[in-house]
Amino acid sequence: MSLPPTATASLVEEVDKCLICVLRDGRKLIGYLRTVDQFANLVFQDAVERIYVDDYYGDIQQGIVIVRGENVVLLGELDAESAQNSKLTRVSAADILQRKQVQLEERKKSEQEERQRRLTMQREQPDIVDDF
Amino acid sequence: MILLSILFHTNKSSTIKMLFTSFFKTLVGKTVVVELKNDLSIQGTLTSVDQFLNIKLDDITVGNVDKYAHMVSVKNCFIRGSVIRYIQLPPEHVDTQLLQDATRREAGEKSA
Amino acid sequence: MDKGVEEPLDLIRLSLDERVTVKMRGNRVLSGQLHAYDQHLNMVLSDVVETITTSEIDEESYEEIIKTTERKMPMLYVRGDGVILVAPPMR
Repeated sequence: MSLPPTATASLVEEVDKCLICVLRDGRKLIGYLRTVDQFANLVFQDAVERIYVDDYYGDIQQGIVIVRGENVVLLGELDAESAQNSKLTRVSAADILQRKQVQLEERKKSEQEERQRRLTMQREQPDIVDDF
Repeated sequence: MILLSILFHTNKSSTIKMLFTSFFKTLVGKTVVVELKNDLSIQGTLTSVDQFLNIKLDDITVGNVDKYAHMVSVKNCFIRGSVIRYIQLPPEHVDTQLLQDATRREAGEKSA
Repeated sequence: MDKGVEEPLDLIRLSLDERVTVKMRGNRVLSGQLHAYDQHLNMVLSDVVETITTSEIDEESYEEIIKTTERKMPMLYVRGDGVILVAPPMR
């Protein structure tokens, strides 16, 4: 019993389907998968990056993209029916980028506050010193 | 059971180590929960596995749908093996004795 | 075939069918019965208890709060690249 010649055998069946690809940095690409190899390197045609912010989403046109396999988290087949039932609202590319920017700044702010709290804590407990 | 012994026996005579690939092939058709390193949990029916332990799931459901809104319209998916942290398995379909024997065999092969 | 301990993984072979402690990346610790492993330290454990430790800073008192959450899983495959250490059972 030997494995099929192609390593990522199961991906070959997905070629030419419209798929969503989740990347390691959290981004989502949607496009037609045109080719794959044993590392799960991928080529998409007519790809868009779909950005989600709260209950809104928008697409940024990307055209043809090559994705290096190690950055792939998962590939999913989109089901048209459940996509229609979704509570999400589609907005323009400019709109979603604006919303993303706002979200990013809010996150940056709360991370900074957290860092400040940790710094304050360390100052208030100077007896805890690293032994090394 | 015959399938199991074929899989594990072939393993013994080959120099390529595929203990876990062979093991997951015995679980095809069963429901598992795959937990990814980005904390996403996906429950689904295991449909295929390869030697990198990339896996395919069917009829998937995702925990914490609000955080992962993009997953609601996905019904089946391919998951790259390297992003997996855990896979929760159905204990009634795992022969632990067989696994231990196969593990000892593979460990012994290496040092022989 | 059952030699002593010549290389690190031999110690894990001797822990087969025993309860082991596995320290994982992301402040996770697993405890479970070991049924399988390979050279990457991929493993199958049963009757697993996972403990996750997180730390938060209290808004008011600026005190560090250490929280632990526990999860039980009857049968678990663990991918080896997240494993930091494997501790054999106490003897």
